[in-house]
Amino acid sequence: MNKVYPVIWKELRDMLRDIRTLTLIASLPLIIMPLMGLSTVYMQQLQVSNVVVVDEDLSSINMPGLGNISSHDLVTKLRELLILNGFNVTIYNGSLPDSVTYDLVVKIPKGFMHNISTFTLKAYIVITKVLGSPKADFAETVVNYALSDFSKLITKAKIKYLSTLANVSVNVDVVLEPISIISTVVKPTGAPATPEEEFRVNLARLMAFSLIFVTTPSIAYINDSIVGEKERKTIEALLATPIPRYSIIVGKVFTASIIGLIAGLSDAISLLLFFTLPSLVYGVNVFAYMTPELIAVHVIAVYLSIFTSLAIITPIIIRSGSYRASHVASLTVMSLASIVFFMALYTDIDKLVESIRYLLYLIPYTHAVLMIKNVVLGYIANTITHGLIIALISLSLIALAIKLFSDERIIYSKT
Amino acid sequence: MGLDIIMVTHVVELRNVKKRFGKVEALRGISFEVFEGEIFGLIGPNGAGKTTTLRIIATLVKHDEGMVKVLGYELPKFRNEVRGKIAYLPEDSRLYGRLNGWENLLYFAMIYSESKEEAIKMARLGAEISGLSWSDLMRRASEYSRGMARRIAVARTLMTKAPLVILDEPTTGLDVFSSYAIRQIIKRYARELKVTIILSSHNMLEIQDLCDRVALINKGRIVAVGTPNEIIVKAKASNLEEAFIRLVGDVSE
Repeated sequence: MNKVYPVIWKELRDMLRDIRTLTLIASLPLIIMPLMGLSTVYMQQLQVSNVVVVDEDLSSINMPGLGNISSHDLVTKLRELLILNGFNVTIYNGSLPDSVTYDLVVKIPKGFMHNISTFTLKAYIVITKVLGSPKADFAETVVNYALSDFSKLITKAKIKYLSTLANVSVNVDVVLEPISIISTVVKPTGAPATPEEEFRVNLARLMAFSLIFVTTPSIAYINDSIVGEKERKTIEALLATPIPRYSIIVGKVFTASIIGLIAGLSDAISLLLFFTLPSLVYGVNVFAYMTPELIAVHVIAVYLSIFTSLAIITPIIIRSGSYRASHVASLTVMSLASIVFFMALYTDIDKLVESIRYLLYLIPYTHAVLMIKNVVLGYIANTITHGLIIALISLSLIALAIKLFSDERIIYSKT
Repeated sequence: MGLDIIMVTHVVELRNVKKRFGKVEALRGISFEVFEGEIFGLIGPNGAGKTTTLRIIATLVKHDEGMVKVLGYELPKFRNEVRGKIAYLPEDSRLYGRLNGWENLLYFAMIYSESKEEAIKMARLGAEISGLSWSDLMRRASEYSRGMARRIAVARTLMTKAPLVILDEPTTGLDVFSSYAIRQIIKRYARELKVTIILSSHNMLEIQDLCDRVALINKGRIVAVGTPNEIIVKAKASNLEEAFIRLVGDVSE
């Protein structure tokens, strides 16, 4: 009988009867990822934000080509756009009362309409924003957009007026924006990329980031499985049996990786839930971009990330012996994994300077991120290469753990 | 008149074995041998070196100096060969709490067996040795009393029919009834299964009741070896406990 089998047999039974831990492992990504979606999309919309628009000018002008326009027209435009974006808007004509609380104040000062009607004076809008409010930042963006639109309207009318005076034929849009940018997104090979492919690359970044949540449960499990056996006083009897040391390690790592697979499956479901919200809010069918090969590679990347976490932590646990030391080591490995996966959100690893890039290549998690990125770009050979590298590093570390296994150290280390 | 020749085989042989942990000299040159088929007791105060000695014999700890032979194999060189032929119950060894009693037996049976059928047969023997009912065996080990758990643990070592069984304080922490039950199991199955047993204990009554021969160990040295009666006579004592105290000296040291 292969001696790995009894260890897997026992570990699986042990694992399946710890329902509370299993439930936690399965539910952690299911809770966290949709919560992240809620916090980034829905919660932002739930924030109450008061925008006050103060019209001190209260005047109107007659613009050639536009007719009679007033500061009230600008106020109405601002109000409509802000309400459309979910802001509470209060209008004050004249001055702002002292008792009013606000997140953002847009003030149209006296003389504003007069200045915009001239060709020599600049008109000003005064914006006052409360510090540390992301919603106020967004309100400012909306106001800037509305003002830019209003500014363009005035400029176009002025150009038209001047061209009539000069008796020159003009295209107002060309005068206003003489340079037009034609932007094309291409793949690293130079082949044009479709908007869907561009979206999928960004999706891949998010998928790589989601790997953060899958490594933790398996690391905790292997830690408990090895050091916990000592603490529960079961390891010594096992070590005196004829079981080869590699069977103990391979059996425990394999079972812990199954824990990882459960977490991985939960992670995949949580990703779907995460995307459900923007799909509902923005009407974008995100699922259409999740191709079968992307999902398959994501699952493999999840498994390899877990496997490599176990491979890194096992030799450390074997040598550390004590629960405290192995726990600290586990946290360090989890932090390392988190850094790499978080970095995947903002950094294109392939574009980093050589020295840093090669340093990152030594970290197995980097290859999990690159697997997902490469499959999105259609580089299947690169995807397989990165997968093989992470597997090779992991197997080497497992071999190291077997080599480092010391009965005496495990028995005599303090828990 | 014929001459009976009795072949005495050394199952365990220790010669001047030393072991040090940092600055602590755990064993200062101990020597004794255990013969085939006997129950050999190792007695001594806390920290005397009993567990270290048993761990060396059980292949878990390497000695620094001296010679250790188990079943004819020298340790630590041939520890893999020895591991398949010994069964060891460490002091205060626990069961896997989430497995039931039967599964605890079956797990170890699978490790010692070459096939599933052989493992099941071995585990059945373990169940018989433990004396627990089938309904008790189906309960999770975490629900067992100390006595029930120790029955399974002892059965788990004896069921292997390993030529050498090592039991480190198998009755420590048990009440009178449980201790008695464990002693009965050891006594009965040692003879039935024809295994050699080394056990350590603090309980002199237990040692006197179970062991064919004993070794008294104190501060890493063997103080006396012989049958319980020989030791009692040597120490000019009335029982093993008195002999132990006389030979070991001031226990408050």
